Amino acid sequence: MLIASSDPLAFNLLPFLTTIVVFSIVALALGVFVWPKILKGLDDRNAKILHEIESAEAARVAAGLKQKEFEAKLAAALEESDRMLREARAAALRLGDEIRAKNESDLADRARRAGEEIENARRTAIAELEAHAASLAVAIAGRILEREITPADQKRMVEQSLAGMSSTRG
Amino acid sequence: MSVFLASESDPVAHIVDKGVFELTLWDNPVMLSMITVLVCAVGLFFVLHKAAKAIETGPASMGNRRYLPNGSFSAVVEVVVAYLRNEMLVPVMGERLTKRYLSFLLSMFFFILTLNVMGLIPFVEIQDAIYGLMGKSFNLQEHQTSAIFGGAATASISVTGALALIAFIVIQAQGFRELGVKGWLEHLCGGHELVHGSIFLWLVVPIIFAVEFFGLFVKPAALAIRLFANIVAGHTLLITVTMFGAMAIKAGLGTTSVTAITIVSGIGAILITFLEVFVAGLQAFIFMFLTAVFISLMAHEDAAGHAEHEIVGGGGAGATASHASSGVAHPQH
Repeated sequence: MLIASSDPLAFNLLPFLTTIVVFSIVALALGVFVWPKILKGLDDRNAKILHEIESAEAARVAAGLKQKEFEAKLAAALEESDRMLREARAAALRLGDEIRAKNESDLADRARRAGEEIENARRTAIAELEAHAASLAVAIAGRILEREITPADQKRMVEQSLAGMSSTRG
Repeated sequence: MSVFLASESDPVAHIVDKGVFELTLWDNPVMLSMITVLVCAVGLFFVLHKAAKAIETGPASMGNRRYLPNGSFSAVVEVVVAYLRNEMLVPVMGERLTKRYLSFLLSMFFFILTLNVMGLIPFVEIQDAIYGLMGKSFNLQEHQTSAIFGGAATASISVTGALALIAFIVIQAQGFRELGVKGWLEHLCGGHELVHGSIFLWLVVPIIFAVEFFGLFVKPAALAIRLFANIVAGHTLLITVTMFGAMAIKAGLGTTSVTAITIVSGIGAILITFLEVFVAGLQAFIFMFLTAVFISLMAHEDAAGHAEHEIVGGGGAGATASHASSGVAHPQH
């Protein structure tokens, strides 16, 4: 019968054999029931992460292409809008010039018409003033002569006065 | 713990494997380390099995959440496994050999780690205290214990020797499988170039054969002794520090001195325990990693000289770390 020893380096066959048997069994059990599951879980996760990274990379590349496409479209749109703006500005300027020219023409026309109307009014007023002055002169002359002037006389005297004024003015 | 340890004056007596009280197997005493190894193996299997269930990919109905591990412990196991495989084993062994031996090497690592860590928990002392509180006494003979479980199994050369023997068998099996008997013998004689080279080179073949043949047994022996010595040294230091209080009482010091010494030794024991937890992981890693290196040496001779040089030159963790950190995947034949 073997007995336990106080020497820590003492070799004991039973623990030696027990360890070999127990470790062999547990290594086999772990190899069948544990490590495949853990390693599959790790590999699945690695594959998933790798797939997600690759997908993200592909999405990034696609997004880059889309961005370039968008930027090209944006640049074209900006150019088109600039062109349209330039054209609109030119049209507006042209229209403004036309309107201004028309306004100026209308204004000159109105001024000319107003001048004519003023001239006509002035002539009418002068004529009326002359007629009135002739009437007054006749009336005054009648009073001076102390005699009744008939309408026929008055008319004749006015016509004479007017003729005199016209000749004077003329 | 000092109270439990005060009864003994020899710290090594705590570490030495003891026979379990009145338990025999084929007329031989059942040693504490045997039960500890068995309990740790069973516990390790169930714990890792639970972790594996949490780590494995769930059903498709879970969506993307099926890829997430459940629980913090399973996350730790996953991180350790992923690190060992991707950062340590693949750079040394290559994809093919890693795939072939990963299961064995991970089992080796976690088995030794479990034994080392369980050895740090004072199960024997706890059982002694429970028996003391229950008023139960045993008629213990020398090198017997009333505890049925506990102790540092890896502080027994029988246990570490068994693990080293398994590593030796796997390493040599790999050699025969990869190189064949002729290649294996060539490997022992210094490699194909030397054996088939100039006749003058044959003069060194016997020397190389002797060294390599001796190395076949030295390598696993070094694995066993390194693990055993580190665990024994750590536990001896820890127990010695915790015994300072009891030694102060025995020396007849005053209450104040005893209290001060006990506090200081307690703090020291806590710090050393942290160190021992680190050592437990480190030694498990070294055992597993060196086994992986020795396996890989049997697959490609061009890498053999390089790896052996580092192992012999550096020895232990430093050498393995430098080898691993090189991160170079050796070409496979």
